[in-house]
Amino acid sequence: MIGTAVAYTLAIFIVLAAVATALFRDVLSAIVVFGAYSLGMAILYTFLLAPDVAMTEAAIGAGVTTILLLLTIARTTRPSTDRLFERVNVPAVIAVGAFVLVLGTLLPDMYAVGTESAPVWGEQGVLTETPSLYYIENTFGDTGAQNAVSAVLASYRGFDTFGEAVVVFAAAIAVLLVLKREVFT
Amino acid sequence: MTADLLNDIFLVTAALFVVLAIMMFYRAVAGPTTQDRLLAVNVLGTNTVVILALLAAGLDEPWFLDIALIYALLNFLMAIAISKFTVERGGVL
Repeated sequence: MIGTAVAYTLAIFIVLAAVATALFRDVLSAIVVFGAYSLGMAILYTFLLAPDVAMTEAAIGAGVTTILLLLTIARTTRPSTDRLFERVNVPAVIAVGAFVLVLGTLLPDMYAVGTESAPVWGEQGVLTETPSLYYIENTFGDTGAQNAVSAVLASYRGFDTFGEAVVVFAAAIAVLLVLKREVFT
Repeated sequence: MTADLLNDIFLVTAALFVVLAIMMFYRAVAGPTTQDRLLAVNVLGTNTVVILALLAAGLDEPWFLDIALIYALLNFLMAIAISKFTVERGGVL
């Protein structure tokens, strides 16, 4: 009950930070406010019991993203700031609002956080015919890998991981372009 | 019973700190200079560490403290980067 209050207050804070980030005219201020947004998201991830995502958000959102964006604006020119906020682009707001509404209609179909009726728990919270049990029993026979997690990443979802590798590769090339450095010494 | 009461007190304090975060966010938006905004976000970072620690105590999830530690370690990074950027324009790394 009180925890829900904390979560909703956090949600208000995050929405405020996101709107401010989108509307700031000065890029440097937008980067700073984006840091605040990242802080709020990290608390929310922690609150929803996703510690790995929260740690990533802490490291990437607050640390790496800020420095990369600073590097980028250091190598580009900033428009002179005559006013604090950008003008609101009405068609874009309408499009985004419609998208959010569509996503919002799907929300009630999702399982609540930590509910025992989610498929991953099987019947009444007892592991029976669940995906995890299948992987535990059949991974070695299917793939020959001894580590089930590695097998899922590299074999069962091999194409997915391949796509991720392409994304990471593209991101690394973009970082090298921003740094104007082809070889790290 | 007393343990439950204590947990509730921790959670209510956490909620109040989130409200404080929203108030500090006003300075981050309104602050006339970038330095004001930077300082506000830095205080927000410290606030985040406090909120995470309070949630760790209130929800009986001690591993929240790990994430609080990571934030305490990383909080200064943005402040230093932006300060360096402002003093020597372009010098971030």
